[in-house]
Amino acid sequence: MTDTTQTERTEARASVLSSALAALPRPALLLAVLIVLLCALVIAFGPVRALQATVNGFVAGSYTGLGAIGLTLVLGVLKLVNFAHGDLLVTGAYFTILFAWLGLPLPLAMLTAMLATAALALATEKIIWQPLRLAKAGSLQLFLSAIGLGLVLRFTVQFFAGSQVRTLGANVVTSIAIGPLRLGTLQALALVVGISAMVIVGLVLRFTSIGKEMRAFADNRALAEVSGIDTQHIINVTWIASGFLAALSGILYATAIGSFNPNFGITLLLSLFAATVLGGIGNPYGALVGGLVIGLSQEWSTLLFNARWKPAVGFALLILMLMFMPQGIFGRAKRRS
Amino acid sequence: MSADAILEVADAVKDFDGLRAVDGASFHVERGSITALIGPNGAGKTTMFDLLSGFARLNTGTIRFAGRSIGGMAPHRIARLGLVRTFQLTRVLAGMSVMDNMLLAAPSQPGEHLPSLILGPRRARAAEARSRADAQALLETFGLRDKARDYAGALSGGQRKLLEIARALMTQPSLVLLDEPMAGVNPTLGRAILDHIAALREQRGTTFLFVEHDMDVVMSRADRVIVMAQGRVISAGTPAQVRADPAVVEAYLGSASPETTA
Amino acid sequence: MSIDFWINVGVLAGIYGIFTLGLQLNAGFTGLLNFGQAGFMAIGAYTVGILVVDRGWSLWLALPAGIVLAVLAGLFVGIASLRLRSDHFAIATIAFAEIVRYTLQNAAFSGGNQGVLGFDAEWRAVSDWMLPWLATIGLGAYTQLPLFIVVWLAFVALLLMMKGLQATPWGRVLRGIREDEDATAALGKDVFAYKLQSLALAAALAAVAGFFVALNVTYLYPTVFDPTFTFFGYALLVLGGFASYGGVALGSVLFWTLLEGTRLIETSLSAGQQASLRFIIVGVFLLLISRLRPQGLLGNVNEMRVRP
Repeated sequence: MTDTTQTERTEARASVLSSALAALPRPALLLAVLIVLLCALVIAFGPVRALQATVNGFVAGSYTGLGAIGLTLVLGVLKLVNFAHGDLLVTGAYFTILFAWLGLPLPLAMLTAMLATAALALATEKIIWQPLRLAKAGSLQLFLSAIGLGLVLRFTVQFFAGSQVRTLGANVVTSIAIGPLRLGTLQALALVVGISAMVIVGLVLRFTSIGKEMRAFADNRALAEVSGIDTQHIINVTWIASGFLAALSGILYATAIGSFNPNFGITLLLSLFAATVLGGIGNPYGALVGGLVIGLSQEWSTLLFNARWKPAVGFALLILMLMFMPQGIFGRAKRRS
Repeated sequence: MSADAILEVADAVKDFDGLRAVDGASFHVERGSITALIGPNGAGKTTMFDLLSGFARLNTGTIRFAGRSIGGMAPHRIARLGLVRTFQLTRVLAGMSVMDNMLLAAPSQPGEHLPSLILGPRRARAAEARSRADAQALLETFGLRDKARDYAGALSGGQRKLLEIARALMTQPSLVLLDEPMAGVNPTLGRAILDHIAALREQRGTTFLFVEHDMDVVMSRADRVIVMAQGRVISAGTPAQVRADPAVVEAYLGSASPETTA
Repeated sequence: MSIDFWINVGVLAGIYGIFTLGLQLNAGFTGLLNFGQAGFMAIGAYTVGILVVDRGWSLWLALPAGIVLAVLAGLFVGIASLRLRSDHFAIATIAFAEIVRYTLQNAAFSGGNQGVLGFDAEWRAVSDWMLPWLATIGLGAYTQLPLFIVVWLAFVALLLMMKGLQATPWGRVLRGIREDEDATAALGKDVFAYKLQSLALAAALAAVAGFFVALNVTYLYPTVFDPTFTFFGYALLVLGGFASYGGVALGSVLFWTLLEGTRLIETSLSAGQQASLRFIIVGVFLLLISRLRPQGLLGNVNEMRVRP
């Protein structure tokens, strides 16, 4: 009952907007809005520019969505705002550089990097988060621990790799032409891998028992615990998934953007938060969709504004969502008790 | 409607997440009475308290307190009008001293507002001295005088309950809502709380509305009883009237009489 | 050389002390996790810089203008996000600080990454007036000493003011909100209005800190106000003590002495690696103190709400 008043009031504010839209199922409504926007952009800027921006938006959307899944699961399952999550993306990208430097072929280096980051995420659970939970740490302690971990990760990377701009080492400058659209080979690869990964993750969450348990847990922890789910097991799997997907997201970002430095995680973090809030906290499908919406909005915005304002679109969406729809586009107001 | 009702609720409806927690409840509370609100679990009693104190918003219906409509009013405004609640799970301010818990509840302290604090520090100090005396007296009444300097978090469960009630009274309310004042309190202390309530009603004319599961207490201490079931008020009247009402017996799921479900 | 170095450390400790007084007011006494303090500091500092350089204002008039603008920003952020759950509020304030930094980096009025330069002539006049006076007691050689003195006078004055405010009935309402905002509302207190005042006052303190940052670095550019510095503020807050203004002073002095002191250690590391190492130390420190002594050195464990 702690936040009843706040929830009530935000509900009241949100209800003006949502009651008008409540008649339609949310995913259909969202799809309709996106298609209308795309049509408007096609009319205003011509099909080539609009579709090019859309393809770029899917690339950005895939790494944003995959990155946001871990954030939303950790937030839903552990009630932890993981400020260090962006730095897990960075860790994944730099692990790839490390393993490639050690002699692994690039695809294998990427896979090893994802496994290593998953192991690292699990290690943070054992070393940091589990003991804090057992000590019934307050929210300030959790926030500060997450911030501390983020600093340690980012600057450990920077300590060894330096702050200069790097690439993953597979800089192919060729591009593919699909009709009038052009896509860098690496971007195309990132797009294919990203979209397939999103589909696979969606299927795993939907059909495997661990996926179902994780969603149940993130949705309503008390209920899930009563129904006899092994809590610590779910938490461990959540961290492993969070680390693995964070690394995948970081590698996709590094591949698609081409060059990066250890600060890209903290820069990307707010977009990840935006995708999380957009999709509804604790809802991994929501995070995927939220990521796509953020990616598309950012790339579409480049048709209207200078591209340097791209990150600002993510911030703006985050703030607007928090103010008017804190439950997310698919969320409904929950009774708290 | 009674001419001397301090609180009147008419056709109150509240939905939570698709569930109708309060479903057209209507009742009134007489000024200066000690009224019990009873009903089986899930009857909507706590939701009703949330509605009355502004912590939840009505979907439809009206709530009038001392002649004013308070439906949809923010909790702090309702409290300032003299309708104060306590919570089912005690909510003492653990990181503050017992005395600070009491002083925080003082109703008109100019020192709580930056402009008047800066312009009239002396008035703030004078008000503080008066509040401190009031608080001492109330703590004395509730047997917490020795604890005034302790952190509220260091009190026992029963003492916290006492502090919460004393703190509610510190606001000089005309109507106090007590959500299970006896829960988690040993019987001796529970009786003491009830004695204080009766005495305060005599001395100050304060009205009390309380939720309680112990039917002995309800029947022996309340002037009037309101019975809720499934979000509606199914019966209201003196303890004897309510006890004889077949609808009440029905609501308590076939049990012979309300007492056995205590 | 070495004394100049430590004077500088003292200036930093004073500035971040003022900065962290606001965080203490929010987090320690109101229970508000404000992670946007660096954004308010940037608004204060840039307002001063831009008004002096572009509009020809006097530095001494620009300071109150900077404070007013930061307070307005605080009210705006508060009205938009104070009704959110506490984790959403924390995210919203971080987003605010990022937006401020991002705008300063990209907008024309703030000079982008070139920054703002040349606003401190009036301060240097004051400093030059103080130095001969300091020379009479043999301290004329230390050019940063005037700033040190002014910063610490301001810090001590503001610290005493905040301590005094906290002891009033107004401060008591804030503590009530920190403990349990619903219970405080149930006693007739307008929780939202108090949170808003707390945030606005913290923004004002951040603006004062920003003013001194401007005088210290003499050159404003966006990375000076990286949101990471809010985290530094929290680090020194939990070092000194939760819900203790005295703790802010102790924490700030200790934090900057330890952090800057690492510069004096001879190592074979490159400058970049040393800088990284300093951030790693801050990170490890945050992890350790959250685990081992969350209330900090002077904090009171009874006022550190332990809630899952």
